[in-house]
Amino acid sequence: MTPVPSTAVFSTGNIITTGRTIATLEKSNQELINSLRQNLKEAPEPRRNQKIDSLSSPTAQAGIAPWVQQKNGYLYIPGPTEPAGLSEERSEYDITVKLFYLPGVPVSDRCNHTRAALDYVLEELHVTSIDLLIVSFPNISFDAEDLSLNKEPSDEEVDEWIQTYRTLESLHSSGKIMRIGLAEFGVPRLSKILPNTRIKPSVDQINVRDCCVVPKPLIHFAKEHKIELLTHNDCTNILPSSSLQHLFQEDSTPFANFGRIDPQWVIKYTAVIQDRGVVENKGYFANIKIELE
Amino acid sequence: MGLLSLGTPLSWDEAKPLADLIRERGIDQLLKIWEKAKNKERDILLWGDEIEYLVVSYDEDVKDALLSLRQAEILKDLAHDEELRKAGGCVPSLQEINPKAGQRVPTFHAEYGRFMLEATPGAPYGGTLKDLLTVEPDMRKRRVIAKQHMAKNETPITMTSFPRLGVPGIFTNPYYPPHGPIARSIFVPDEIINPHIRFPTLTANIRSRRGSKVCINMPVYYDEKTPRPFHDPTVLYDLSDYPEDDDVRKGAAKEGHVYMDAMGFGMGSCCLQITFQTKNIGEARTLYDQLCPLGPIMLALSAASPIFKGYLTDVDCRWNVISRAVDDRTDEERGLKPLKDNKYVIPKSRYDSVSTYISQDPAFRSEYNDVDVHQNLVLKQKLLDGGMDELLARHFAHLFIRDPLVIFSESVKNFNIGQNDNFENIQSTNWQHMRFKPPPSAEDAIGWRVEFRSMEVQLTDFENAAFSIFIVLLTRTILSYGLNFYIPISKVNENMETAHLRNSVLSERFYFRKQVFPPRHSNRSSKGTVSPNSGQSIPNTPKVLELGPVDEEYCLMTIDEIMNGQPIPDGFPGLISLIESYLNSVNVDVETRCELARYLDLIRKRSKGTWETAATWIRNFVRNHPKYEKNSQVNSQVNYDLIKAAETLGNGNGKGTELWKGLFEQR
Repeated sequence: MTPVPSTAVFSTGNIITTGRTIATLEKSNQELINSLRQNLKEAPEPRRNQKIDSLSSPTAQAGIAPWVQQKNGYLYIPGPTEPAGLSEERSEYDITVKLFYLPGVPVSDRCNHTRAALDYVLEELHVTSIDLLIVSFPNISFDAEDLSLNKEPSDEEVDEWIQTYRTLESLHSSGKIMRIGLAEFGVPRLSKILPNTRIKPSVDQINVRDCCVVPKPLIHFAKEHKIELLTHNDCTNILPSSSLQHLFQEDSTPFANFGRIDPQWVIKYTAVIQDRGVVENKGYFANIKIELE
Repeated sequence: MGLLSLGTPLSWDEAKPLADLIRERGIDQLLKIWEKAKNKERDILLWGDEIEYLVVSYDEDVKDALLSLRQAEILKDLAHDEELRKAGGCVPSLQEINPKAGQRVPTFHAEYGRFMLEATPGAPYGGTLKDLLTVEPDMRKRRVIAKQHMAKNETPITMTSFPRLGVPGIFTNPYYPPHGPIARSIFVPDEIINPHIRFPTLTANIRSRRGSKVCINMPVYYDEKTPRPFHDPTVLYDLSDYPEDDDVRKGAAKEGHVYMDAMGFGMGSCCLQITFQTKNIGEARTLYDQLCPLGPIMLALSAASPIFKGYLTDVDCRWNVISRAVDDRTDEERGLKPLKDNKYVIPKSRYDSVSTYISQDPAFRSEYNDVDVHQNLVLKQKLLDGGMDELLARHFAHLFIRDPLVIFSESVKNFNIGQNDNFENIQSTNWQHMRFKPPPSAEDAIGWRVEFRSMEVQLTDFENAAFSIFIVLLTRTILSYGLNFYIPISKVNENMETAHLRNSVLSERFYFRKQVFPPRHSNRSSKGTVSPNSGQSIPNTPKVLELGPVDEEYCLMTIDEIMNGQPIPDGFPGLISLIESYLNSVNVDVETRCELARYLDLIRKRSKGTWETAATWIRNFVRNHPKYEKNSQVNSQVNYDLIKAAETLGNGNGKGTELWKGLFEQR
């Protein structure tokens, strides 16, 4: 059989309420891969070793919803529970979404990817807009010490960012996102992108590993441009292909006979009840190109 | 201390026949509040801390540190401060408080001890992480304002117990001789009691109801030159002013122990308490239960009181001292005599650990409520008839086995079911390590609240802020992840005893739950899957969780393991990493995250033993003092230097000094 290229979107579902089976608390890439693993493990028994096409066909056993679904031309692997949406009024929540563009994916795809990824989140949470979309570009990281070198980003890089940023601005204009955020931007990067933005970024999210060594120039710059500096603990490589390969090979999942694997994007969402500081919903979607036999 | 109603208080003999009436009215008031507020929803997180201070008065001529008895004058002075008055006022008992928007003036309250002050933030803190950064500055402000309204030789310190309370000779300014008619104590004068009529009445009525003085024996810490056997030499056996003078002749003072005989020894201690508003009654019940097992852990970690009545003792905490100091149970109720005049044998003091969980969460198993809980069954039936569920009715019926201790004749005449005075009369004289607080009937704006009560006050505002913030962050983490800390309540009670042991924070192990995450529930795996046991397919029914034996759900852990985690992959992750995981899931600005890291670091280092508890620090301070005679006794010179050191640290000074190093530098 010749390999069939497919795109599959995996959902973790709400990882806050579905609980955990491991006691250790992970970095976000482990959190993602472990949630996906858990989800695949819990796949309905008879399906585990079946071929994808038979799983997703409408002739799947009567009375049981197909586990792997056909959706928007993708294969869709839902989370362990039906998305129930939010339990309170929309206005009670602060919904933050972080989109990770992955290395090796053409920049020209980002516009479509962004819209598609955001739509998965909107549908999962049953909402029409989110409060903050932070984008994370591949291959850049924030390192407080590196900044002293004041490394200027290349024109090419900047052009790519601006091209992507246009999509964010249009999502902002259409009311789907209220605020835009960037990740890992130091002063040199911010200075390059800011003049080219119509809707200014409200947030810069940086990985402050050993807290409290945020460079002064960045603090001043952010203050001056009314950019809120937020912290995160995500990994630079949110979904390494190697971990995915391991995952699919384990326990003969339906994806065991894969050919090439190309992760396209990962999106993380968090819905926090603002006045109470309670995280009600948190999860990931990952879009992965898989060659299946 | 609850409500300070004014009026004519009844003596115990007058109050006793009214007990059933007050209880019944209290339950009527409770039902009314519950009926009205049980569906109250979506209240936001508001919270506040309460810090208690000892007011110390120095006698620089003889280098002595005494307890100042000028509480009333200081409060009056605070109320008359023009600037504070303009800003909204700060003494609710003396003036009308008109909070101005955006301003938070701390408020000051009287406490049981006439040498104490209590201060609260004035208005509650909000629910954002940024609000947490206002806690320490607010505490700092309270200390500064309090100090400004004291005499030159006075100072507020945040030390849990005053080391020389009740020693022979002078320990208050001004001096009063002990053995007054109210407490009838061999050691402390009645003048240490807040003169507001509620407090002397409470003191006298506990003694009268009990039929003897309260009796507190704390094991002495045997040092090199402490006599063995140790008989507390300050006990006077030949007094004969009151019938209670017989107590010691009947063996009240135990060998090997420091003996104390008055409510002031307990209620004169200072604590750090945190109260949260919850979104609804269900969340309040959840947090009450989930924080309950944390009570003893936080007591051990905040331990700050190794000295009582001038002696180093072999305990680090105040809790049991207070418990015994307000123990109003009769001989019959304590099981010393067969029941004749009383209804129940009651295993615990009114001030003690929680005996019953109250939440209806799926995580709750009835096996966790494994302690015999005496209940007022008549009143319980009334609650059940009013529609209250079994678990909550059980909780209140348990509180309502106690008698009202202070009854004002006016409140007997003027009963209003729409108020909560009779309910609070019982509720607020049940001092358990958690308190479940219904909304006050008068103010609809306030929601269901939970109070965390076990912690000892810390010497510095940094530590007090850190402990408060830790608990707040823990509640957010519990609610977000749906964490489950349940262990049988009998184990919580055992932990409470363990927490008292000297250096328990490092040398003891505590019962704690192993698996705290909620079980993974997947509606997919229930559909059409083959049940491993029956071999039958059970479509669309939730998978029944198979629960193992309760005894296998928990094990003994050190506080280091509870806070910082056990080895991966299977060990308990540790409360701090759970909180950090929560913080990584919400938007936190850089400054806030860094500040919060400082506070979490304190908890981390305390648990590891890198930094000392105040109890260890105080014990070492005494033992290393050149004037200490290695006989367990804390003399006035040692005490003077200790109090001065506590003042220096409390004022945020002394960084880099030897004092500071003990508390905040790696050993």
